[in-house]
Amino acid sequence: MELFKSGFKTVLGGGGEQKSTGQDATGAETVERLVERLITSTLLDDRRDACRALKSLSRKYRVEVGAQGMDAILNLLGLDRVDTEIMTYAVECLLNVTSPELLDDEDPNVKGIGEQFTEIISKKPENIANLLLLLEEYDYKIRVPLIRLMTNLLTNRPKDVQEILLVSPMGISKIMDLLSDSREFIRNESILLLIALTRNNASIQKIIAFENGFDRILQIIQEEGYSDGGPVVEDCLSLFLNLLKNNTSNQTFFREGNYVKKLVPFFKLPDDPELGWPTQKVSNFYHMLFVVRRLVSPLNPSHVTQACQKSLKACGILECLCNIILANGIPSETLTEAIATVAEAMRGGRDNQEYFGKVEAPSDPPRPVLVILLMTLVNERQPLSLRCTVLYCIQCYLFKNEKGQNDVVKTLLPASTEASPGTVTSGQLLCTGLFSRELTNNWFSAISLSHALLDSPTQRENLLKVQLATKANTPASTLMNHLILVLQQSTKWQMKIGLLQFISLWLENSQPAITHFLSNPNSVPFLINQITSPESDEKEALVKGVSAFVIGLCLYFNPNTVAAYSKDNLIQLINNRIRMETLTDGLGQISKSDLYLHSLKHPQLLAKHSSDLVFDHSFCMVFKKYESLIVLQLSEPNNPHHSHENSRSDINSMGHMVNNHQSPNDVISRYKEVIRTQDETIEGCKQEIGELKDKNQEFQGKIEEMLTEVNQLKSQLALAQAHRETFELNQQNNRANISIEDHNAAIAQKDYLIQQLQYRVHELEQSLSTSTKNPIQEELTIKLEEENKVMVEELDKMKKDQDELLELLTEQDNKIATLKTTLRQNGIPVEDDQDDILDEHETNGHGSGDLGESLL
Amino acid sequence: MSYAYLFKYIIIGDTGVGKSCLLLQFTDKRFQPVHDLTIGVEFGARMITIDSKQIKLQIWDTAGQEAFRSITRSYYRGAAGALLVYDITRRDTFNHLTTWLEDARQHSNSNMVIMLIGNKSDLESRREVKREEGETFAREHGLIFMETSAKTAANVEEAFIGTAKEIYEKIQEGVFDINNEANGIKIGPQHSPTSPTSPSGGLGGSQGSGCC
Repeated sequence: MELFKSGFKTVLGGGGEQKSTGQDATGAETVERLVERLITSTLLDDRRDACRALKSLSRKYRVEVGAQGMDAILNLLGLDRVDTEIMTYAVECLLNVTSPELLDDEDPNVKGIGEQFTEIISKKPENIANLLLLLEEYDYKIRVPLIRLMTNLLTNRPKDVQEILLVSPMGISKIMDLLSDSREFIRNESILLLIALTRNNASIQKIIAFENGFDRILQIIQEEGYSDGGPVVEDCLSLFLNLLKNNTSNQTFFREGNYVKKLVPFFKLPDDPELGWPTQKVSNFYHMLFVVRRLVSPLNPSHVTQACQKSLKACGILECLCNIILANGIPSETLTEAIATVAEAMRGGRDNQEYFGKVEAPSDPPRPVLVILLMTLVNERQPLSLRCTVLYCIQCYLFKNEKGQNDVVKTLLPASTEASPGTVTSGQLLCTGLFSRELTNNWFSAISLSHALLDSPTQRENLLKVQLATKANTPASTLMNHLILVLQQSTKWQMKIGLLQFISLWLENSQPAITHFLSNPNSVPFLINQITSPESDEKEALVKGVSAFVIGLCLYFNPNTVAAYSKDNLIQLINNRIRMETLTDGLGQISKSDLYLHSLKHPQLLAKHSSDLVFDHSFCMVFKKYESLIVLQLSEPNNPHHSHENSRSDINSMGHMVNNHQSPNDVISRYKEVIRTQDETIEGCKQEIGELKDKNQEFQGKIEEMLTEVNQLKSQLALAQAHRETFELNQQNNRANISIEDHNAAIAQKDYLIQQLQYRVHELEQSLSTSTKNPIQEELTIKLEEENKVMVEELDKMKKDQDELLELLTEQDNKIATLKTTLRQNGIPVEDDQDDILDEHETNGHGSGDLGESLL
Repeated sequence: MSYAYLFKYIIIGDTGVGKSCLLLQFTDKRFQPVHDLTIGVEFGARMITIDSKQIKLQIWDTAGQEAFRSITRSYYRGAAGALLVYDITRRDTFNHLTTWLEDARQHSNSNMVIMLIGNKSDLESRREVKREEGETFAREHGLIFMETSAKTAANVEEAFIGTAKEIYEKIQEGVFDINNEANGIKIGPQHSPTSPTSPSGGLGGSQGSGCC
């Protein structure tokens, strides 16, 4: 009977079984049984039940469901597509299995399991193709998990899945079509899917643009209310950022399509400042600024950036951004990002720079925006990130902007001092900053000033005219001389490195500046002192490097105007005092340092801490340009030239004598004299030759010595190499061992899996054999049971009949007994054996006697 | 600048036939003898006038290499016009036209206007495909035909504008459903009767009218 029961339950589905076996069976076993059912069941209902059960287990037993059930479920996608319900379970199941995040109560060790399962799915492109086909299903219940599942796949294995989608016919278009879904929730989910889809894949990004992606997303942004919209706006902007990242074609498309103009409402400040800046708005705004920056990034091809800069100005976004910079109540991070955006919107673009130069803050009296920015720059109470960004903005304003540079330098020149009292000029702010006690102020001011000179010979000369009167009684000194003085007195690396970078950019390609610098008797000694003094840390080493670079520039651009430091003298000085190698080493310190490489990469400096303020991008560019040239200059030998000139003068003097003396005696005596001197010279030469021979021998000895040494070293080297090789081999061995161990572990894991699979196969075989028997047995059972039922019924009937018969019999007996008594009473003899029966019946049916009587 | 219509084009054909050069000549009016291989798809745009209406051409220049074929197929569906280009100095590029055409017909909408272009007409001395052959092929397959030179700019304008005229006529005849953006045609912002104009959008639009 128990066998029959379980047979029934199999037909009823997994729910019942789970309950009955849940106590003792592990999750893995249950999953195994369900997967088995999913594969073997011929009835759709059964498969659906199994799939539903697997889905509900897939959160708790994700590894088991994935490892055992994945293939079955993936097959289902191709087979049972007509049944929406089973598809929903299958998709939800895959959604859980591929989740990139840990599901509830999951062991952190299984992190990355979602990626592994995604890999299995994406190995067969037809799986993705099946999912794409399912996208045509409009039902909400299936579309939502399906979109999420595809997002999971793209998040876990972006490259593989992107490539498959890209070559699937209309794959990208089908995903794009989801954006038109009228149900807002689905639309929002599909934006997330598109973000994952477009990440770092230019081809897909372009197809999205071709499929009117920008239009559709902009429409969503507009419907959601621009920056006042919810997180959907932020998602839309993230998608924009993906579409525009390193994609010149899309950037051009964006500009050509006039999309820049459609962004304008984003930058309108609310009329009522009381509305404030909720977190989401700040975030939306931040993303929007980033979109603009991506269009005008200094890393884009310059023609793309310039064209976008023009668009930004033409449609008024530059103006809006400047208003934001100067407005009150803007959150700090928004302000910082807005300044960086303005910076890039004008970098190298003359019109925009000119516009920016004219912007004035609505203060009383109105101040130019540049002055406002400089006030922030030299205010150490402002956040560092803001000050760095302000520096970036100033740099971008002055970049290739001769007029802007001139305006700044002009405020430093004596003629401008007549400006009305109370007004602050950029020159004043920069000078105060340059010599302030606050180190970051020094650094920021020095770097800002260096940008006022960049690529401009005129400004380099103009700045030489700047006079400073530090104390009331002392005579005014030039800015350059004062800088040298300050450098000599300073002990702080940050100040030195800032000022030295400023000087480097001043001296670069400017003979007047170099002349002025070398004329100061303290300049070169200071530099040599810097280079030769022992360095205490990394930053000091960099100061040494920049000092070496300044000397290098003096050498490379030397105008030979200052006798003490002419090119030759300078070379001699370097040779005598610091040696060439020290100088080149110093330069190497810079080019090797991470700080240098970091600053070289992007014009904007992102400093987390004030000690990160070391190198400026423009200095790094100049350094990169001249480093090798300076090294070349240093290695060029100048000595042979010198001796060659000496020998020529000897011959000339002899010819001179021959021509001038005419009388024979005189001539003879002269000749004699000449011969004598020649003899003397010969003697001298012989002596010299002897000396040289000695020296030669000495040198040869030395060479031999060196050769043996070289050989020794060579053998040592060979030995060392051999050592290294063995070491490397050992290391490789170690690594190999480790990887073997890893592999072993993997093999063990796989063994386990294989065991499981074998077990499953075994089970499957068993179930196969039982399942072949089953139908007959089941049929038999049913037949038997039916027969059984009939029999039982018959039995019951018969029992009833028997009872009735018994009753009748008793009645008959009673009647006979009564009749017998009547007969006896009437004197009719009755047979004995009948009496016996009667006796029996009298004891049995005594009570019924009355009944019989009454009946009679 | 606003436009009455926007047409999307694609340029297809074997690698090295001068697709990118045709686009560069049309959009920038210049010729670049050494051009990098197009990777995937590149974009270009220009405004033209037909029937005193401003029409914006959005042109997608595809890579001719086989490796990019599956990517470039994504562009067929949404295009209103296609320039199918071969090189008159390379017979094989002409021989491949049938394949290209089949591909285009299969993946595009049926109304897409296709113009056949024999490029490099300046290299007459190295000609391998006769003009008549191109004409015959075009007639047999219902295409417009033109020989061009991206180097000398001969017929380049005509090719792009001719295609646009054909599309424009089809619009006038009502062949194209202009409200379906999948056809590669868009109605300009101010011409669109269904375009929603929110107050803020209208404000921005009027202020930034000078934008490119």
